[in-house]
Amino acid sequence: MTLQTADLGVPGAFTAPGTRRSIGLFVALAALVALLMLSLIIGSKMMPPAVVWDALFHPSGDFDHFAIRDFRLPRTIVGLVVGMALGVSGALIQALTRNPLAGPGILGVNAGASFAVTVAIGLLGVRDVRGYMWFAFAGALVVTIMVLLLGSTRRGQSPVVMVLAGVCVGAVLGGAGSALQLINPDAFDQMRSWGAGSILGRPLDVVWPILPFFAGALVLAFAVSGPLNAMALGDELAVAQGVSLVRTRILAIIALTLLAGGATAIAGPIGFVGLMVPHVARWIVGPDQRWIFAYSMLLAPSLLLASDILGRIVMHPSEIPVGIVTAFVGAPVLILLVRRRKVSGL
Amino acid sequence: MTVTNLNPRLISTLALAAALLGAALMLAACSDGDDTPTATGTPAVTGTSTTASPSPTAESGTRQVEADNGTIEVPANPQRVAAIGNASLPFIDLGGEPVGVTEMRASTLALLPEEQKGTFEAAMNLGPSGGEVDLEKLASLEPDLILAQLPTSDFELIKEQLESIAPTVFFGLGTEWKTLADGLAAAGNLTDGLSEQKAEFEAHVATIQETYREIIDDTTFVMLDRYASSDPATFVITHIGCIEIAQDDIGLNLPEHAEGNNGEVQSFEQIGELSRYDVILYPVNAQGQATEPFAPVVETNAWQALPAVTSGHALGVFCPGNNSYGSVLRYLDSLDQALATLPSDE
Amino acid sequence: MTTRGVSTSTRSSRATRSPEVRRVDFGRRVVVVRRGWVAMRFEWRSVIVCTAVAVAVVVMSVLALTTGSYQISVSQVVSALTGGETGLVHDIVVEWRLPRIAAALVFGSALGVSGAIFQSMLRNPLADPGIIGFSQGSYTGALIVILVVNGSYLQLVGGAVLGGMATAVLVYVLAYRRGVQGFRLIIVGIGVSAMLGSLNTWLMLKASLEQAMAAAAWGAGSLNGVSWDQVAIGGTVIGALLLPAGILSGPMRQMELGDDAAASLGVRVAATRLALVVVGVALTATVTAASGPIAFISLVAPQIARRLARTAGITLVPAAFVGALLCLTADYIAQHIAPTPLPVGIVTVVLGGGYLGWLLFTEARRRL
Repeated sequence: MTLQTADLGVPGAFTAPGTRRSIGLFVALAALVALLMLSLIIGSKMMPPAVVWDALFHPSGDFDHFAIRDFRLPRTIVGLVVGMALGVSGALIQALTRNPLAGPGILGVNAGASFAVTVAIGLLGVRDVRGYMWFAFAGALVVTIMVLLLGSTRRGQSPVVMVLAGVCVGAVLGGAGSALQLINPDAFDQMRSWGAGSILGRPLDVVWPILPFFAGALVLAFAVSGPLNAMALGDELAVAQGVSLVRTRILAIIALTLLAGGATAIAGPIGFVGLMVPHVARWIVGPDQRWIFAYSMLLAPSLLLASDILGRIVMHPSEIPVGIVTAFVGAPVLILLVRRRKVSGL
Repeated sequence: MTVTNLNPRLISTLALAAALLGAALMLAACSDGDDTPTATGTPAVTGTSTTASPSPTAESGTRQVEADNGTIEVPANPQRVAAIGNASLPFIDLGGEPVGVTEMRASTLALLPEEQKGTFEAAMNLGPSGGEVDLEKLASLEPDLILAQLPTSDFELIKEQLESIAPTVFFGLGTEWKTLADGLAAAGNLTDGLSEQKAEFEAHVATIQETYREIIDDTTFVMLDRYASSDPATFVITHIGCIEIAQDDIGLNLPEHAEGNNGEVQSFEQIGELSRYDVILYPVNAQGQATEPFAPVVETNAWQALPAVTSGHALGVFCPGNNSYGSVLRYLDSLDQALATLPSDE
Repeated sequence: MTTRGVSTSTRSSRATRSPEVRRVDFGRRVVVVRRGWVAMRFEWRSVIVCTAVAVAVVVMSVLALTTGSYQISVSQVVSALTGGETGLVHDIVVEWRLPRIAAALVFGSALGVSGAIFQSMLRNPLADPGIIGFSQGSYTGALIVILVVNGSYLQLVGGAVLGGMATAVLVYVLAYRRGVQGFRLIIVGIGVSAMLGSLNTWLMLKASLEQAMAAAAWGAGSLNGVSWDQVAIGGTVIGALLLPAGILSGPMRQMELGDDAAASLGVRVAATRLALVVVGVALTATVTAASGPIAFISLVAPQIARRLARTAGITLVPAAFVGALLCLTADYIAQHIAPTPLPVGIVTVVLGGGYLGWLLFTEARRRL
């Protein structure tokens, strides 16, 4: 497979001056803050900003205050955290495989998490999200390590073999999981809703224990951004510059697994955010990973929150889980972009 | 390789022609096969109620039964009955003892009375669902009657095979529970048990109507539910399941609902809007605690602040199933007890 | 498609060789024999592999014919096949087991060929008809019939084929911009598939458990209840499609060298690609109509065949043989492994994915 760094970039972007990138970053930050506020205001019932303010800082027993404090605030925080993790993990996997079509799911993160949750629900009778989120996390980690081993050759890790291995492991686990679900209708029933992916109804005590992992992974991601930049120009050149290919790849994989695995443990499988946002970030800022990470950290939660808000509006007053909306928001953009730009590669 | 010398235009034309020919063949063949068998399979959808009328034909030792797959000739006194799909539990409830069944979900079986559960487990397990029944295993049981309730599309696939094993009485999923009980009793020669259950049901309904006449006339009720497959942080204002009996047979005053949908999905944010109802009914297990899927609703601050909850007007009702007289009778017991706890000032 | 350095070198040598071969071939057709020497080396192994797979297929068929939950002795099976049995034994052997085996072979090989066509055309080892949205589209169509209309089996088949075809056309049209380029086709396919996949998840959420489980079983691909009618119809269509597939395989191999190289050899790239897409999709559509979308065979059969036959590119015949064996074996396992039978598609995924993973692992090991 030769889906190399398909040169989807605008030529001008490579020369974008640092100031323009910084201004863009502030615009992205402003957009994110605006979406955070909208996420508190919009819902089954529109809340005026004054009510939101009161609910946050002078709460009373009012039903509107319950709605904001108990449901909208947690889902907004979950969206922010999960979005950031998905964005950066997507940027990492795309840098690592030099494949613009790779999402975090391609190394089997979602498959591992889903299978572990199916086992937890179907065989072990775990019913609470606080219980099976650890299964999801562990499943994602174990499967990614398996894929990493399968995809390793003498000359290090071949990204293409790794992707194939990810598909194989994902398929085996997916099949085994489906078999478990089909002979255990109760597990099937629960997995239907987990499989949709949602940031709603996750208590915040599901998020806190994952945060230290995210923080560590983010530090790792920025630490390997330099070597990844060097590797983007070719493995030989990178080695000549003193970059250790194996160490960079392994650190990057640890970081992206923690991020994607943690996000999936909290919210279930949410597609497209990790695939699309780094793409867009690269189109805006060019090939420098540090900038791509920074933009992904802001753009991904924006996309996730915007999708979530859209999911509340479309079928108002009922809602569509965000994991379903992201595809409908992301896919048309991707198709439009691929039609408009002169793409090569493959 | 020599074929490459052909005119490429010819190649593509040939390919297209062949594909079209193939499609045409398939269509023609499909519509051929359609003429004979499909005429029988549809009544379930159109909703024409099928009243089963056993009419013994003395000499052959068989009777005729009306079902969704036509008029079926069944043994006058079937000895070895296989009940697949959803037909198994209603058949057992009527006092039948099937030799083979397909799997039911564990959570459903847990609600059965012990002796019925024993009967179910004594039967041979023929497959994960009605549509995925192991036909050879079924044949090896040598049944003299097959009762089936499963999705119509699934049944049509295995209809011929089932009928080559034994007379097959089929009901679609949309069949009303009373009709289903009539049909299964007629086919399985269990009409004595059925009339007993019917009499008990009518007596119980009459008692409840008499005892709670005023409450039924002056109170607005709402029935809530939440399923394992529900989106997180949502619940349903439902009008299907056991509540149909409370509404249609007893006459509780429930909110208007649109025909056809399974209930109105509400976000937890909307719990406050439930203040408008006098009495809130919610699902509980046999021990009287909120069912596992519904428990998150009861835990919210908004629920605990509802006037109906603080004043003791939120009633847990146990619904062990709504597709057989036995389980419906147990539901009526539970409803009776719940209504009795309403404060007398009502 | 090149997954490793090793095959890249094989390919580049082919790439330099082929134009030359063509030039010889151009004037005198007899030279085919001379060129054949190079081809023979590959072909020999292909022939051996195909023979071995065929033997395995026969063994599996005998096994599938003689074992089952209903106890039938080998002599009874033989007499049933020769018309010596009546009643249930005859029905089970001749009307249930035999068409099921035939269906596994016919549909499995069709999926293998279909996958081989797509992987060769897109030069991508992960390509199958799913890539242009066919699988998700047909699942959407079937789900709407099962969940919304509560329709008959025939409506389900219609919905599935219609959904799949409409999606494939949509993807093709969206990817069309002065010709269809492989990369753009893949990205558009991923986008549309993702949307439909989400829609499918949502439809499943809104269904009752029985409906959702029936839909899931259909979506996994099941041979339960397959009859001679389905095999005959499906087999006829597939047979009719294999002819153009064979004719197209020549230009297809040339297009593996790149669009420009193929065009310089006189291949009409755009028309050939459209024809390949149509044949590939039609093959998958036929299988989907008869048995639901049996997953993963189209993806792994060409890969396994390529590794067994050690050919540089994707070849149709070994892929067809491997596809047939995979489908038959998977169905046998699906009927016997669990206490209750499973849809075949679940096992094809585990079996095919597992075997391909193992091949990858040993390949990587060999290079250690």
